[in-house]
Amino acid sequence: MADRFQELLEELRQGVTEYDEERVKVAAQAVLDEGFDAYDAVMNGLAAGMEEVGRLFGANEYFVPEVLMCADALYGGLEILRPHIEVDPSRQVKGAVVIGTVEGDVHDIGKNLVKLMFEIAGFTVHDLGRDVPLEKFVEEVLSTDSDFLCMSAMMTTTMGGMKQVIDQVRQKNPNVKIMVGGAPLTGDLAQRWGADGYGKDAPNALQEALRMVGSLREMHQEAAKGG
Amino acid sequence: MATATKTARERVMALFARERQTPVPVFSGMGNVTVYGLEDAGIGFAQVHGDAEAMARAAASSYERFGYEAVVVPFDLGVEAEAMGRTLNTYASSDGILYPTVQNKLPATADNFQVPADLELRGRIPLVAQAIRLVKERLGEQVAVGSYVLGPFTLAGQVLELDQLLKLAGKDQTQMHVILERAGEVAAREAEAYRAAGADFVTVREMGAASDILSPRMFRNLIQPHLKEVFAQVGGPTVLHICGSTQNIVEMMADCGATAVSVDQKNDLAASRATLGPEKLLFGNLDPYKVLVQGTPEQVREAVRNCVAAGADAVWPGCDIWPTVPAENMQAMMDASREQA
Ligand code: B12
Repeated sequence: MADRFQELLEELRQGVTEYDEERVKVAAQAVLDEGFDAYDAVMNGLAAGMEEVGRLFGANEYFVPEVLMCADALYGGLEILRPHIEVDPSRQVKGAVVIGTVEGDVHDIGKNLVKLMFEIAGFTVHDLGRDVPLEKFVEEVLSTDSDFLCMSAMMTTTMGGMKQVIDQVRQKNPNVKIMVGGAPLTGDLAQRWGADGYGKDAPNALQEALRMVGSLREMHQEAAKGG
Repeated sequence: MATATKTARERVMALFARERQTPVPVFSGMGNVTVYGLEDAGIGFAQVHGDAEAMARAAASSYERFGYEAVVVPFDLGVEAEAMGRTLNTYASSDGILYPTVQNKLPATADNFQVPADLELRGRIPLVAQAIRLVKERLGEQVAVGSYVLGPFTLAGQVLELDQLLKLAGKDQTQMHVILERAGEVAAREAEAYRAAGADFVTVREMGAASDILSPRMFRNLIQPHLKEVFAQVGGPTVLHICGSTQNIVEMMADCGATAVSVDQKNDLAASRATLGPEKLLFGNLDPYKVLVQGTPEQVREAVRNCVAAGADAVWPGCDIWPTVPAENMQAMMDASREQA
């Protein structure tokens, strides 16, 4: 029994890393038909495969088309498994994220990779796309009551917009965790602008976020206690 | 001094004929408008893209003020997309420098990419051609006039949704080749229209195919054949420019049929020179932002010297000159090459 599940997990992982959507779908369906746990299959099959994809991308073995195709394979499996994940408080969604590329900037390849990482990790992602008016970030963070705001910029001239958004969001909801990224940014700059986090690549961005989730939880608990 | 009597145009054209120049020419085939040029033309950045006269004057300014050795129009990457029926946002209400962006890309299928029969008459292609004519009329004897078009992959990515196009590149090579062949036709015909208007050289910009995005293997199978087609169809001196990571594809770039190859600051120019050998024309690779905009004049000088020492046949910035470049840095860039000679 356990062996069979391991086999299916391996199928899911390989289907993702080898961007074979059909193979992933078949394995995902088998997980359900044979009565295995859907959540386990998502985390240790699909997401584990994608983690490997992240590594291959970092090592310049995979490039953007491969990563996007792997993501499609993953989504194929996710669609089948997701409706069967039991909502258990200990497995609760990690939080909601608003993400976008700032106004005047169409470079969204990197942003899409970061978005992907968040989705796979179980965050609810509100993607505002590219060339996003600065006010839109502020509005969306407030209206969706998101825990994270992620902004991307690839041009030195457009990245300045991030600082404005950070200032405005801070005024309205100081608890939102803000992350910034994109080639011209540095951790130093992110800090100076008052962002909570910076990520040099997509896997790194997710790690940062997960680190912050911890402190977010504590914050919510504090708030609940304080009433 | 023999060089003093040569015009900028003579120097650049001689270089394209493979006669190395001393001092090493400083120019580029990408946008080189500055805020001073916009001031000279009395126009805002958002408006300059739609006005041939202002475009010509703003572009000429980098030569007139600093001695930059080429005048290049246009300044944005949306000309092809517009000619293919897409709309651009030029951020008309913003007074900062925001580059135009394509608003309504189409789903990435070959059916959605059809070359209009009257391509040369569409969008701003006639306007850019007119700007070339104006510059040519006024300064054509003194300075090289350049223009640029997008490479097939980058061009397709401005018309079709890029993430879908990237997936198609991995999944359906047959359809991808159809799209790239059509995009190559657009690039070649547009380039020929600019040459007919008087452009001395045309640069093909294929930034979407850098190794930050596509694997070198995909570059070989998918990108290179179509670049070859384009260069086979365009007469006169041509340059292939790719910004981003190019170390692993520079040899293939040099084998596409362009007169010269240009790379950006991510490339180790000395290593590329070693790979390509002494004959190939190799341009590069001044960092247009960290050095030209943010550096001190002394840092600019040093960077120019490094380009030359690494084996650049012409000092080219890695991308468009960023309009807010300080005047003293433009000057330092021009002086450095002359001082070194
Ligand atoms: C592809 C490309 C384009 C494509 C963009 C297509 C698209 N839809 O994205 C096109 C052709 C449209 C384009 C247009 C232009 N471009 Co361009 N482009 C590039 C290029 C070659 C690659 C960028 C890329 O996608 N990299 C690959 C991805 C995977 O990496 P990434 O974006 O860095 O993302 C990773 C990390 O940064 C991080 N990350 C990203 N976002 C975030 C967000 C968060 C929250 C976190 C934590 C992390 C994170 O994770 C990502 C994944 O690992 C770069 C050169 C380069 N190599 O950087 C120039 C470059 C970005 N472009 C440049 C320029 C100047 C332009 C134009 C102005 C040219 C013009 N004359 O019009 C226009 C701009 C139009 C506009 N208004 O935006 C310059 C910017 C200079 C500067 N410093 O300001 C660059 C650097 C080229 C250069 N050598 O100078 N470009």
